[in-house]
Amino acid sequence: MHGAVIDATNAVVTLDVGLPGIVWGWIIVMNMWAKSIGTGVIFMLFYLLKKYPNEAGYLRFPLTVVSIVFIHMFLFFTVIDLHQIFRFWHIFFHPHWTSAIAIGSFLATAFVGMIFLLAYLSFIKKDNAAFDKVLTWTTILAVPVTLYTAALMAQSTARELWQMPTEAAQMILAATLAGSATTLLLGGKLPYEAKRDLAVILGLSAVAAFILYMSELVFGPMKAEEVAATLEFIKGHGEYTTAFWIGQVFAFIVPAVLVTLSVQNKSTGLLTLASVSALAGLWVAKWVWLVIPQLLSMS
Amino acid sequence: MQLGFLVDLHLCMGCKGCEIACKVENEVPLSTWRLRVKYVDVGMFPETTRTFTPLRCNHCANAPCERICPVSALHYIENGIVNIDKERCIGCAGCVMACPYGAIYIDPETQTADKCTYCAHRIASSLMPACVVACPVEANIFGDLDDPASNISRYIMEQQGDVQVRKPEKGTDPHHYYVGGGNVSLNPLASRREEGHNLFGKLTSKMPVGGHH
Repeated sequence: MHGAVIDATNAVVTLDVGLPGIVWGWIIVMNMWAKSIGTGVIFMLFYLLKKYPNEAGYLRFPLTVVSIVFIHMFLFFTVIDLHQIFRFWHIFFHPHWTSAIAIGSFLATAFVGMIFLLAYLSFIKKDNAAFDKVLTWTTILAVPVTLYTAALMAQSTARELWQMPTEAAQMILAATLAGSATTLLLGGKLPYEAKRDLAVILGLSAVAAFILYMSELVFGPMKAEEVAATLEFIKGHGEYTTAFWIGQVFAFIVPAVLVTLSVQNKSTGLLTLASVSALAGLWVAKWVWLVIPQLLSMS
Repeated sequence: MQLGFLVDLHLCMGCKGCEIACKVENEVPLSTWRLRVKYVDVGMFPETTRTFTPLRCNHCANAPCERICPVSALHYIENGIVNIDKERCIGCAGCVMACPYGAIYIDPETQTADKCTYCAHRIASSLMPACVVACPVEANIFGDLDDPASNISRYIMEQQGDVQVRKPEKGTDPHHYYVGGGNVSLNPLASRREEGHNLFGKLTSKMPVGGHH
């Protein structure tokens, strides 16, 4: 081992404190994963109602409920990750506007109000015209709600792996991937053309996200020493190499292949498998990317 | 006024007096440190040297922890110190993720973020920080960077060319300087960490230090 370095540059830390462990772990992964579904289904509902207003109309209420459930799951995991859970309200009474967490909290709160309004318009008032108008604004709001976590990761100056605008692109792609997968799982009555459109969105999101991850994996180390050190955890015999590739295969490669086969054969049978694979793989891919920068000593 | 720190690594002998003084003064819980001294061994036996580097909050002018804090628990006070209001902190750990120096931790007793405050409470009473008082060789130099006659300003002037900050590429503009530092002492990526082979105990990179994870 020592033969690999010049004696004079052989430096070993012989006393320092241990790393604080994984500070942002699976709870934050649940947060990001659930938010991707919660906003992603809104993007898909907006698209379907524009292109297939009659055939997709029955999805107004079910997809709104799915969004409500997953956004609340996201909020739940956001709050339980706090070390002082019962001080969550401080964000609303002492907001610091340079913080992505503070801005995101207000955006998410407004988004929750919008999706409850959608639920009211579809289930109680049964006013499709009003629903579609409100949905437009909800979809617009879903964009910054999706993106604010990327801003938070970019503000995490110590973790050089999380760069803007890559994280922003990954967050949007995660939402379109998870949204299309979830809608495919729930949209059994949709016509073939609508399912094909959702499949194409799923496949393209998977391919684009995979390209981004691979680009970072290959080219990231050429630009930044810290990125190179971080990516060692997912290269070769790295501690997280297997998990990283499990995430990449299930989130992106399997769905892309299955979508291609499905579109070629005009068969929707494979799309259920593609959707489940994408949703499960996305969780793993996000988890690895969240954890590995935290394994690097800052001192 | 802009308070700052300078550590002359030529003088530091790794006695850890500053570390202990900080612990006592600020009642820092077990397994956590506001200030600690890192040892790095360089070379191959018998040609070896050991470097000592006290590490604490850098009180950056462009502090990522202050920017990311959603409730302003981390905030600047008028003398330039980045202080923390533990009653306001919600424990989101955003600051832990943001600090490029690993200077912030979650206090296992209060479940809030904590870090070096340059002993802001002592400075308010015109006292020096505890670590400065404890240092037997005056390696810790503390004072007003805006005052050209202060000890720290004069030291920086005298040592020009040998004054460094940690990770200048991060753009944080630290108010904590080192004299006599090198790549090994200031760059965490310049040295290896071999788990289970640390002095004074088996400190591993996975050792939990509080929090609920």
